[in-house]
Amino acid sequence: MSIIDLTSMGEPQTDMKDEINKRLLTLKDEFSEYCYQCGKCTSGCEAHKLLELEPHKIIALLKRGLIDELVNSDIIWTCMSCFKCRERCPQKIAPVEVLFALKNMVVASGKQIPGNYSMYLQMVLSKGLLQDEKEISTRDNKTLKRADLGLPEISKPVDMAKFMGMLSKLAMEKV
Amino acid sequence: MTNKIGVFVCHCGINISQTVDVKALTTYAKGLKDVVVSEAYKYMCSDSGANLIKESIRKHKLDSVVIACCSPRMHEHTFRNVVESGGVNAFNLEIANIREQCSWVHNDKEKATEKAKALVRGAVAKARFLEPLEPSKVNVTPEALVIGGGIAGIQTALEIADKGYKVHLVEKTPSIGGRMAQLDKTFPTLDCSGCILTPKMSEVANHPNIDLLTYAEVKEVEGSIGNFTVTVTKKARYVDLDTCTGCGDCVQACRLKGRISSEFDEHMGKRSAIYMPFPQAVPLKCTIDVSTCLMLTKGKCGAGPLCVEACEPGAIDFDQKDEDIALNVGAIVAATGFDLIDEDIVYEYGYSRSKDVITSLEMERLINSSGPTGGEILLPSTNEKPKSITYLLCIGSRDENACSWCCRIGCMSALKQLYLLREKLPDVELNLCYMDIRSYGKKYEEFYRTVRGINSNVFRGRPSEVRKNGEKLVVDVFDTTTGKLFEISSDMVVLVPAIVPRDDAGDVARMLRISQSNDGFFLEAHPKLRPMDTATGGIFLSGSCQGPKDIQDTVAQASGAASRVVTILSNDTLEVEPLIACVDEDLCSGCGTCISVCPYQAIDLMKMDDGKSSAKVNEALCMGCGACAASCPSGAMQQKGFKDTQMIPIIDEMI
Amino acid sequence: MKKFVFYPGCVMQTEQYALDLSLREILPKFDVELVDVQGFSCCGEPLKSVNQMLSVSLAARNIALAEREGLDMFVPCPMCHLAMSECKRILDSDEEMKQRVNTFLKDDALTYTGKATLVSILDMFHEVIGLEKMKKKVTQPLDSLKVASHYGCHLIRPSEIGRPDDAENPQKMEQILSTIGAKPEDYPEKLDCCGALLNANLPETALTKTGQKLQKIEEYGFNALVDVCPWCHRQFDARQKKAGETVAAKLNVPVVYLTQLIGLSIGISEERLGLNLNLSPVEALQNGGN
Repeated sequence: MSIIDLTSMGEPQTDMKDEINKRLLTLKDEFSEYCYQCGKCTSGCEAHKLLELEPHKIIALLKRGLIDELVNSDIIWTCMSCFKCRERCPQKIAPVEVLFALKNMVVASGKQIPGNYSMYLQMVLSKGLLQDEKEISTRDNKTLKRADLGLPEISKPVDMAKFMGMLSKLAMEKV
Repeated sequence: MTNKIGVFVCHCGINISQTVDVKALTTYAKGLKDVVVSEAYKYMCSDSGANLIKESIRKHKLDSVVIACCSPRMHEHTFRNVVESGGVNAFNLEIANIREQCSWVHNDKEKATEKAKALVRGAVAKARFLEPLEPSKVNVTPEALVIGGGIAGIQTALEIADKGYKVHLVEKTPSIGGRMAQLDKTFPTLDCSGCILTPKMSEVANHPNIDLLTYAEVKEVEGSIGNFTVTVTKKARYVDLDTCTGCGDCVQACRLKGRISSEFDEHMGKRSAIYMPFPQAVPLKCTIDVSTCLMLTKGKCGAGPLCVEACEPGAIDFDQKDEDIALNVGAIVAATGFDLIDEDIVYEYGYSRSKDVITSLEMERLINSSGPTGGEILLPSTNEKPKSITYLLCIGSRDENACSWCCRIGCMSALKQLYLLREKLPDVELNLCYMDIRSYGKKYEEFYRTVRGINSNVFRGRPSEVRKNGEKLVVDVFDTTTGKLFEISSDMVVLVPAIVPRDDAGDVARMLRISQSNDGFFLEAHPKLRPMDTATGGIFLSGSCQGPKDIQDTVAQASGAASRVVTILSNDTLEVEPLIACVDEDLCSGCGTCISVCPYQAIDLMKMDDGKSSAKVNEALCMGCGACAASCPSGAMQQKGFKDTQMIPIIDEMI
Repeated sequence: MKKFVFYPGCVMQTEQYALDLSLREILPKFDVELVDVQGFSCCGEPLKSVNQMLSVSLAARNIALAEREGLDMFVPCPMCHLAMSECKRILDSDEEMKQRVNTFLKDDALTYTGKATLVSILDMFHEVIGLEKMKKKVTQPLDSLKVASHYGCHLIRPSEIGRPDDAENPQKMEQILSTIGAKPEDYPEKLDCCGALLNANLPETALTKTGQKLQKIEEYGFNALVDVCPWCHRQFDARQKKAGETVAAKLNVPVVYLTQLIGLSIGISEERLGLNLNLSPVEALQNGGN
């Protein structure tokens, strides 16, 4: 590669770029190379105003192969998954899906994941669900359980051992 | 002298009425001497406005009409037809321009209204002295001249010829084909340029109505619409066209074979001193380059010219001379094409410092399979295949220091080349620096999308310079999409250069008496409504000589120009405006001043019966420029419609 | 009677009981029978950031469970519905991916075939039951209740995956609300996000997003905000007070599930619709509502 980023001296990672493009293809999402940087995604980005996420710039850096810069930045974790960028992209590109791919790469590389994502994963692995059944408060401050309302038992994996086995294998998989 | 005048004031929507008090002006005009009717209307140029004028003419038995409206350049023709159909001679009409010369240039309504009154007062003063005039008729020569044998000239010539008129097609190089013949494939369809052009070239060569004059230049143009006399210089080729078979044996034999830089190959390849520019040349005949041939420059070629030896039919003739021929035509089309910017104007991009910095037109010759490398992409410096190629768009274009305009084909031609290069060199690194991609034509945007998908690196930014760093060419570009500065090292840099008028465009414009816009391209009569016309009657424009165009637009304009020419040639006679010079023989002293100033040789000195001499105007030749009237010391020479007796009352009234 | 496997998802069955309760109350009234199936897990969507292969496989596993019952699947939570729709889109058009996923499902003795249809909460009312049928059941129309709808991002986007309503001008919820007598009105922020997905790592910002939208709804003078998504509802309803703090406002927007309003209009008691579980000031509704 004869292109050097003089601003941050970052090296392009062409193989990682290719991996992301392959993932997008498998998940039936558009190839990001078609992006022509109109900025419509950032103009309507729900996370931009509050957290300065710039989806068009994510795609620009991806096109350039500067994946390290992306996966090392917390900015990729600011997406609200509102899907407006994907819905409205004039080239059918899905910045939101690129962000999912990048976050997956961070997780796969063993880097620390921000917030509660590890907890979500642990919960699903061990219980099959995001959270345990909760006791809730009513508006007049009474505490109620699901059964108190006459609701049936929650549905969750029956054979937890089997379920966990399957998930542990899956957790090592890539798209 | 007339005495019943009607004044008609136009609001022009609000163009006039917002600055000029139309009601006050109309009332004012009614009070002027000889004015019998004064009316205002929202759009005088509309059908209802025209009917208002016609009815007033009939009702008030008007002798002359004054219309206060926009510039006569806009609607004088319209209004002449209106008054004529109302029953007044078309030249008993005077226009008071209260839009361009009043409402549009003033803000103060009160003062503007006063000025409008003065303009109308002046127009009425002239109207009192207007005389009916009858247009004269001239015969039309049913032949056309097309200058330039590129795709524009070819298309125009073929379409005129197909309509049954004789066309003289003059091309200054040895073959027709022009820029399009140099190209490999064309965007966005990737048609092979040669495959779609060559049939048209042969059609030109074989068309019974086309007189093809290659290696020839137009030297002089006289006359006017319907009757131009043109002098064409046929340059000596030193080869007899009738005898030469185009076998090319002489080209192979030439002592300077492979030593003369080829213009057709954009100097990427070599030719002989006797040559055919390219294998599909039309006519397929040889030409000897007078500036390099040893016989013609030094008077001897070794023991004897090898070309003569090789030429079996004996077509070579070192005694040939340039020859002038005269043509008579009714209309002329300029299809003289374009040049590329002089790369020294954009010296920072390193064209003159490295052989491996080339233009996109040079790249066309490298890509083309009949080009100097047989279609292989090789570095000019080493003849090796490049591993990386960087394109820089807008070289000199959109640049106030060079060419302020967009070249209109650069983006698409570069995208096309990227596509072709990716096919030819699957592993080459392709980079492109752009500001905007202008892919405006039918299927162009779609092509741009395709190219985005072929693995290239695009940077949105304009590099500042190209540096040579050892073997590599280094370009720094600030990419505004990532907000980063990138350094691109590549083996080859391709500049996509600005498109400029031909360097002799000024001379051609003067010869044809047409104008150039401030960019130097030929000026059309109206950018939207008369894009193929010039302000000079009978002279039309085709292709990039009017401004940069791609092939699609060029062909469209070329067909349009042909249709404009046929509109003239299909008439046996043409009406000519009677606003020409006339002589008061009683006053003329026969001094001949007028003869010396007339640019059209339209005045002769005639002996009168009483023995004295007087100027006489040839009405067919006079263009009504007014030079004679202005220079006449005795006032004998007058211009119809602008006589002293008509103009002086205007001044008297207005001051 | 139409029968569907009822897929509850995580948030509804572990916390958002009002949605669970109201669905189970009203659907039988419209001749829809819900079949509870044991063994479901998370739909996979919340883990998309962690591992998309895991997400797709979880969704496929849940669909496979429903397919085993030989019934179509009712997926009321918009997020779950999106996860499964996307999974279907990928697996139904890519044999290789389908086989890959099925190798994992084999461990759980399950196979994804793609034969079950997914029914979203909007489709359930708008298509399966239909407005005509709904209208006939309305006994207490919610006259004069000016309501704002919130579809939730996942219910309408991305349209490429196939969503139950138009991405830019969804109107099915408005049509349902009009059918039960309410007065829905569009507002500029209608398509905006509630912020819920940021809860995993940026809960404060998530609340700001929620607060900003609620503030606008209050400003426009709506009597209530109507939603269908348990994630959005948790933001707008349970966390309304906190959301107000992030935008320095004391918010008082009644937030109700569409199903609760439908229930009221056909004469079901507030208690059976879990209206006491809404933490936003829904008592204000009663004045406008009946």
